[in-house]
Order: sequence, then C-alpha cells, then structure tokens
Amino acid sequence: MFTKQVIACATVALLSTAVISTAIASDWKPTQPIEYIAPANPGGGWDTLIRTTARVLQEEGLAEQNFAPINIPGGGGAVAWAQVAAKRGNPHTLFAASPPLILVPLSGASRFNHQDFTPVARLITDYSILLVRDDSPHQSATDLFEAIKARPSLSVGGGSAPGSMDHISVVGAAVAAGVEAAGLNYIAFSGGGEAMTNLLGGHVEAVITGAGEASAQLQGGQLRALAVSAPERMAALPDVPTYMEQGIDFTFDIWRGIMGTPDMPEAAVRYYEDLFQRMQQTEGWAMARDQLGWIDAYQGSAEFGEFLDGQLEQFSSVLSDLGLMRR
Amino acid sequence: MEAFEYLLYGFSIALQPTNILYVFLGVFAGTLIGMLPGLGPISALALMIPITFAMNPASGLILMAGVYYGAIFGGSTSSILLNAPGVAGTVATSFDGFPLAKQGQAGKALALAAWSSFIGGTISVIGLMLIAPTLASFAVSFGPAEYFALMLLGLTAVVSLSERSLVKGLISAVFGIMVAIVGIDRQTGTQRYTFDSLHFLQGIDFLVVALGVFALAEVFVMLLQGRDAKGRAKQALGSLKLSRQEVKEIAGPVGRSSVQGFFVGVLPGAGATIASFLAYITEKRIAKDGHTFGKGNIKGVAAPEAANNAACGGSFVPLLTLGVPGSGSTAVLLGALLVMGVTPGPMMLEQRPDIFWGVIASMYIGNIFLLVLNLPLIPYIARILEIPRPMLLALIIVFCMIGVYGLKFTAFDLYLLLGFGLVGLLMRLNGFPLAPMILALILGDLMEENMRRALQISGGDWMIFLEKPISATLLGVAVLSLVIPPILRRIRAARAQAREEG
Repeated sequence: MFTKQVIACATVALLSTAVISTAIASDWKPTQPIEYIAPANPGGGWDTLIRTTARVLQEEGLAEQNFAPINIPGGGGAVAWAQVAAKRGNPHTLFAASPPLILVPLSGASRFNHQDFTPVARLITDYSILLVRDDSPHQSATDLFEAIKARPSLSVGGGSAPGSMDHISVVGAAVAAGVEAAGLNYIAFSGGGEAMTNLLGGHVEAVITGAGEASAQLQGGQLRALAVSAPERMAALPDVPTYMEQGIDFTFDIWRGIMGTPDMPEAAVRYYEDLFQRMQQTEGWAMARDQLGWIDAYQGSAEFGEFLDGQLEQFSSVLSDLGLMRR
Repeated sequence: MEAFEYLLYGFSIALQPTNILYVFLGVFAGTLIGMLPGLGPISALALMIPITFAMNPASGLILMAGVYYGAIFGGSTSSILLNAPGVAGTVATSFDGFPLAKQGQAGKALALAAWSSFIGGTISVIGLMLIAPTLASFAVSFGPAEYFALMLLGLTAVVSLSERSLVKGLISAVFGIMVAIVGIDRQTGTQRYTFDSLHFLQGIDFLVVALGVFALAEVFVMLLQGRDAKGRAKQALGSLKLSRQEVKEIAGPVGRSSVQGFFVGVLPGAGATIASFLAYITEKRIAKDGHTFGKGNIKGVAAPEAANNAACGGSFVPLLTLGVPGSGSTAVLLGALLVMGVTPGPMMLEQRPDIFWGVIASMYIGNIFLLVLNLPLIPYIARILEIPRPMLLALIIVFCMIGVYGLKFTAFDLYLLLGFGLVGLLMRLNGFPLAPMILALILGDLMEENMRRALQISGGDWMIFLEKPISATLLGVAVLSLVIPPILRRIRAARAQAREEG
C-alpha cells in the first residue's frame, strides 16, 4: 500500500513539473548533459560535424550544458536511429543527419526515416563533384556521359553502397544528361579514399565524391574535375563548372544537420534552433567551417522539415528508376 | 642528400620539448591500450581525438601517430602471455609466442617482440622518409583485381602451412569465409545467414571469433587437462636476454619481414594483419627448422612482430602522400587532421613540411621510447604468469568477456564467444588448423567485395584477373603455394623410402 502511495505521489510530482515546463516554454533550458550522437564510427562526416559543433559550442560558451559526443556505429546509421526513436520526447538527445537518413530507409535497411524524428536545424552543405584523371580524354561532364551512352561498361566509382548518396548523385546527373539510370556502371568502394586511389590507378573511369574531400587532390594536379552539383560555381573551386552550365539540369546538396528525438518538446526545439543559429555567427565556427570546406546553409526546424520532405521525393524517384526501392 | 636535410628540419620540430612530451605520452598511452585485449589502435585513436582538437596540427599528429604505433607495439603482450590476440595484427604472434611462454620463456618472447617491433618500426620510418612519394604510385596500381589476388594468395599460403592435412586446412579456411559472409551484404543490402536476427545484421566481429577460438579454447583445453597439469602450472618468466646465436638467427627474418611488412602496409586495405601473416609464412617456408614453427620458434615471434610494426609505418604513405586512408586507424587519423585544418594529400609535402617531416622524425624518437619503456616493464607485465592457474583462467575469461562486451554492449556476443570457444576446442582436438579460419574471416569480406568489384568493372569477364599482370602473377603464386608442398612432400617421402630400401 505504502509503495503505491509513493508512486502515486511521484507521478503527480512528475506531471506537475511537466506542466510547469510547458508553461514557461520559451525559457526551456537543458537540465543535464546532451547526448550528442554521431550514428557512425569516429572519422566520418557525421562524426566530424558532431565533434566540431560540440567543440565550438563549448569554446564559445554558448551552451548551458555540455554536448557529449557519442558514436553509435552500425547499419549505416540504422542502429543509432532505432535507439533514438525509442527515446520519444526526450529533450536531451540529438544526432547528426545527412542524406543517408532518407536513403537508407528507402532501400529497406531501416524502419525509421526522417519523418520519425524532429528536425532541429540544417547547418551546412557540400556538393558532389565528378572527377577524372588528368590524362582522361573526357573534357566535360557531357563528354563523359556521351561516352557512357556509347559504352555502358565504363565504370564510375563512389565511396558508398549502391542506392546511397554517391550513387544517387551521379545517377541523377546521368539521367538528366540522357543516360538510362540502370545503364550506369557504378562501382561501390568502401570509402571516398578508396574510390580515389582506384581512380588514380586507372581502375575506374571516373569518381563521384564530396567537393570538400576532393580539393587536396585537385591541387595535386593528378585529377581533373568535370562538374560540381552546386547551383552556381563554388567559391573554393572557381574553375569547376556546374552541371547547369553544361546544359545538364541537375543540382545535388550534401546537406548536414541536427535532428532530435520523436516528438521532442517544441520549447526544446526552439532552444536548440536558436543555439545553433547563434553558433553559426561565431568566429570559432567560421574558422572550423572554412578549414573543413563546409558552406553555411542554416535552416530552422520547420523549413528543414519541408526541405527533407522534398529530398524524400527526389530520392524516391531516382531509386525507383534504379529498381532499388524497397519501401 | 636532400632527405637528410629535411629530416634534420623534422627533428628540429620533433625535439621541441612539448613535442617530445607528446611523443612520450602518445606511445605510453598507446602501449597500455594496446595491451588490453579488445582495445586496439582504432579505439585508442578515437579516445585521443578530443584531446588533439586544440593542438597545433604537427603536435596533434605526433601524439596520434605515437598512440597508433604504440598500440600495435603493445598488442603483442596479450597474444604471447594469454593467447588472447586483442587485434588482428597480432594473431600471428600468438602462434609461437604463446608456446614460448608455456615453455617458461615468456620473458624472451616479450623481449623478442619488443626488439623486432622496434627494428620493424625503425626500418619503416626510413622507408617512409626515403621513398614515400615514389611509393604512392605503387599503392594506386592495386585495383580490385589485384587486391583479390593478393588476399587469395595470403589465404592459400596459410592453408598450405597446415602440414598434416591440406584438406583440413581448406575446410578451416572455408569455414572462416562462411562466418565472414554473415550479415548485410554491403554491395546489395541483402541479408545473408542472419536468420532474421538483428544481432547478425552487422556480421560477426573478428574479435569475438579470435578471443573464442584462441583464448577461450585454450582455457577449455587447460580445464580438460584438469589437475594433472597442475604440477607444471607454474610458468617461469625466464631470461630476457637473447644469446648471440639467437640474435644471429633472427637478424635475417626481422630484416626481411620489416621490408616486406612496409610494402604490404603501403597498400591501402592490406595493412598489419596480412603483413604479419605473410611474414610468418615466408619465414616458415625458408627456415631450415620450419617444422618447429608453431611450437615456440623465436623466428615465429620475430617475423610477424617486425612486419606488423613496419606495416604501420607503411600505412602512413597513402595517408600523407595521397590523402587517402588505407585502414580504419588511418581513417580516424585523417578525420582528426581535417578537424585540425590540415588536408593531407599530394600538396602536403610542399605546403606543410613541418607536419610531414616533424611526424617522421618523431617516429624515430617514439620507437626508441617504446623500447626503453617496454623492456624494463617486461618482468612486471609477465607477473601475470605467476598468478595461480585457477585464477589465471578466470582472469582470461573475464578479459575475453570484457573485450567482447565492449564491442557492441550486447550479451548476445558473449554467447557467440562461448560458441566459438567450443568450436575452437573441437577444431584443436581434431587437428584442424586455426590460422586459415581466422585469416579467412579477416579477409573474407574484402576478398569478396574486391572480386565482385573487379567483375563489375570488367562487365562480368573473369579474364580481368589474368589480363592484369600483377593479379596474374599473384594468382600464379597462390596456385603454386597449394600445389608444390604436397609434391615436395611426396618426393621427399619417395627419397626417404628409396634410401631405406637402398
């Protein structure tokens, strides 16, 4: 009997704190350290985003609580997503997101997709870049795609599995240039680095990768860029033409942002939105961003959510062209 | 000589007091982490990332590199003392290191490992300094077809070592590949042998199998021996000193393995594991006393230890000159460098010579630190062996369980560990060699992926493996490695018979 009463009291107490916290919504602040999850091993894009933002937030003294980076690798992100999805309403868990959050579920490898989580903010973007060896006969993206039409066995390498980001971004461009989606011989390597060595060694005809990753190789002079997927030429790579300039109607964003648990309280979302917006205005962020070759692309929660829905539509159509849709 | 001037410049950076401190801290932390079964170079490096954030890039890389080769240096300890290889790169060390420890020569085995690691590490730094830029082009000449051939060669070479029965060796290798297949296929996303269980989606981790078939199976064997073995349970540390004769004996193997290990390390994806196995196999092949390998031959410890440390140095070649990481550990290093605002690649030598040459110079210093740090510690580390047997067995089991549980924090892996312990015991009792299975497990994924990539590039034409000269040569050697030993054995047997009859 006694224990039941205690539980009842505790429940009432909890409920009342919940009521109070919604009442003073605009003043919500985290009350414990934030679990700040990279759904992958250390070293990759998600991990870099998590660790860099955590550091900037701390150095600039913006956050009331510590952002503690945690790596949860596995299943291309699916393991971490399943764990976060189970923390419905928890305001102290955030994770890094990018196109795989949409692509992996579409290929059937995750039960959860972006609609199961709460968008917090889009932070940055990068673009994909199409590379060939310096001695390649192809002078433009159009050249390469024409050659592929004539000889479909020509191979294009990328750093991720079929149906994932690299594949989608090159197939999207190829389709816009009139190549059949299934007619593109995409070779999946286990990382952008491996794809690049295979291009340098002449084992594949071209490689698709992130523009930020490729800049050092481009300076080395052994590789040449045929096109970037940006709407306009990138400031860091002023000599590389866009697909649009070459008459191929295609752009592709490698966006990265922060997402929260399902049904995260609105007050918490607003707090984090504001926090990241302020972070992006700091000196420390500008330095880190430029070092990593990122481009600011802030969007708040609502806008980010709409953007994600648009991405879902775009990716679905490419994946079904490829016959890789599972859902 | 130009390289010499650059090196002096590098030393002027590496010898700054703070950088000396970082090298020391790095190798010290690395050895400690490497000694614990289950924590390898990757975890050691990941732990360091937050610390290096705010450092200047040269110091940060000096620290991280120290942790990396320190972990590989320290990794041999648990292989030798407990037969519990904590990382794939030190599996081959346990083949002769553990028997040596059992024979009361643990001290010698540990000292051998330390000296061989030191020499392997130093030779690879020299290689890195002199020919790194030239080697980059060698590394890129390996495409999918070449990798498949190299890995097949590694596998057949290990199989051919199983002297008693080639068939049992092949069965063991096939079993290893079957275990490697479990999980989501990375090329198509298809689930294979997962029995609809979430636990199998990511496949079976190497460490679960290695600790099971080596360490846990060893525990089972000791349990089966029961109290009878108690009399000789006390294992002595033995002398740390190597006789002049022994030094002479290992000089050749260490030299060869260091060079070979360095070149294998340069290949992205090949790394310390293949290097150590290839070195072990080569030395066993060419040694006059090759039949004593696996029973506590000092060359069997020296060769893989020299090779895996040399490979670690070699793996810096593609990272620093091409800007592409060749292994999980160097991928973490690359990530850390990017965060510090340095983009490794073809231009790094010109743009940031302080980093390139500073790190190389620090590696000389780090290797010396490792040696003077480890040799005096050996008597203390080897105290593990003085622990009474029942406690030691319990301790090994605990180590295995911690190492395995720490991977994914699921109890399911512990059942798998037990299962593989039993598999290891059965294999041992029935004379199946363990090496082919464990190597097949390590290489299985990569072998399959590269084979499929090669076929995709060629449009399904198998001739791609024979049209490429490197791949064709490697495949030829692979076939020979399987065919020649039985023939030789038959010739030898015939001769012996002829002699008896004559």
